Amino acid sequence: MTRRRALIRKLGLKDALFFFGPLILFYSVFYLFSTGFLIYASLQRMAISLRNPRFVEFDNFRLLLTDPNFLTALQNNIIFAVVAIVAGLTIGFFIAVTLSAGVRAKSLIYAVFLLPTLMPLALIASVFRMLLESRFGGVNETLRGLGLDVLALNWLIEPTLAFGVVCMLFVYLIGLPVMYYTANLATINTSVLEAAVLDGAKTGRVMREILFPLMKGTHRTIVLSTLLLSFRAFDVVFFSTQGGPAGTTEIAGTYVYRFSTTGTNIGYGSAAALIVMIVALILATLQLFWTRGRS
Amino acid sequence: MTAVAKDFLYRRKRERAIMFALLAMLAVLWALPLIAAVARAFAFNGVQNFTDVIFNDIGGISLARTYANTFVIAIIHAFCVVVVSALAGYGFYIFEFRLKTVFYFTVLVFLAVPATSILVPLFFITRELGLRDNYLAVALPEAALTLPFGVLLVRNFAEEIPRSLIEAAAIDGASHPRIWREIFLPICKPALINIGALSMMWSSQDFLFPSLFFSSPEMTTAAQAVLRFKEYLGATPDDIGRYNASLVLLAVPALLIIVFGLRFITNGLTSGGVKE
Repeated sequence: MTRRRALIRKLGLKDALFFFGPLILFYSVFYLFSTGFLIYASLQRMAISLRNPRFVEFDNFRLLLTDPNFLTALQNNIIFAVVAIVAGLTIGFFIAVTLSAGVRAKSLIYAVFLLPTLMPLALIASVFRMLLESRFGGVNETLRGLGLDVLALNWLIEPTLAFGVVCMLFVYLIGLPVMYYTANLATINTSVLEAAVLDGAKTGRVMREILFPLMKGTHRTIVLSTLLLSFRAFDVVFFSTQGGPAGTTEIAGTYVYRFSTTGTNIGYGSAAALIVMIVALILATLQLFWTRGRS
Repeated sequence: MTAVAKDFLYRRKRERAIMFALLAMLAVLWALPLIAAVARAFAFNGVQNFTDVIFNDIGGISLARTYANTFVIAIIHAFCVVVVSALAGYGFYIFEFRLKTVFYFTVLVFLAVPATSILVPLFFITRELGLRDNYLAVALPEAALTLPFGVLLVRNFAEEIPRSLIEAAAIDGASHPRIWREIFLPICKPALINIGALSMMWSSQDFLFPSLFFSSPEMTTAAQAVLRFKEYLGATPDDIGRYNASLVLLAVPALLIIVFGLRFITNGLTSGGVKE
């Protein structure tokens, strides 16, 4: 950090190319060019072949921002993220704390919560879809077996139920919060807890009033990373409900996918993609500033 | 793990029992879908579901082939991310230059770009480079999406290295590429292994890129096959049994990566997420 060392740290052209060249190459192609291409494409009307574009100014954006389905998709994105966040901060917190309290078979239980999150989401969502299928799905078969035919519902066909199913999937993917809390619990200073317990505070209070506030940083990490991940959660929805019925469970990812891979106007999909990308960049900026402010 | 909670939480016996019971209930709830999936894979024809899927191609796709494809892509992805972020991490750690902070921030800000949002440009890039049905068409964009995280991890890790190590070598007249190879890489090995494991896991999860850039059955990856198999297999009991068995079997590559890399995956995720 001192001046004396400046000598060896000056960046020459050759070193710049060697160390940053590959990174810049990747970024130029996949981010810089991609963003440029999206901006260009979003102002055109063109087919998926990308041939014969016709310049249409901001028509795509105008259509997009007046499409109730797009707004629903963004709104759903937020709702699912909020559901996942709330589950993470409550259930996830409880799981991590209790796991650290000397449970037996700890690593097995930890794995059970972690595994679904680390697996291909396409698989997990497909399993849910298969189990909830109305006629032969495991859930309904079990319910009928118990004589509860009334409860054997069309889980993936009724809009409200399908919405609930997707929410459930987002709760099910609780691995990251559990992981983050567990990691943070390992670094917590014991003396605060010790004092509180010796003062006779009840466990519930210790958890709520001491442990929970102590992990402020982790809560923030969980809120932001869950929010960000919800924009990457394409597979969760695509493989469980495909955004249906009638767009009720659509999220930004599935919406953009639909209009980027099918249809006659790829420009429209590009406009949607651009907006989603801007949202992701803003959220990442927030995350960077918040985590930076702490260190 | 920590002595903290162990010693100070749930000191009353009854409370302890209730909390542990609650946790056990949650664990059972979470395990149920997985157990049900495995149980249903035996439905109708039992083990034959599995042997059918293992020994016969489904829609021209062989299961073993999807495993191989998944691993090849995972390795290319991991290799690119590890090398490129190790290089850039060294660059950010050692050099001072104008606008370094701005540059670093620009690299990191793409941390959360969803794959879906760059699909249209990727169609164009893949077509112009003639990469359709080439492993690189999937591995390279995957690497691009992982790179911001990779650079973040290496730099965070590198900041803990005493600079005197590097300086001693520089005074000896070693060039930066040599210092990078002989000193920096070995020191950063833990961080690089973490990123490598994470990259492999993310590859195993990726359905989107293979499904768009691979059309040949030969190239199908395990995650992609989840959809291909479903489209191909019908609604007859035989086919449903096979499909359920295939779901279990398609989990194998991801499971292998997770089981062997769990420590690195959790280390990588938590050191990137919970920065202290």
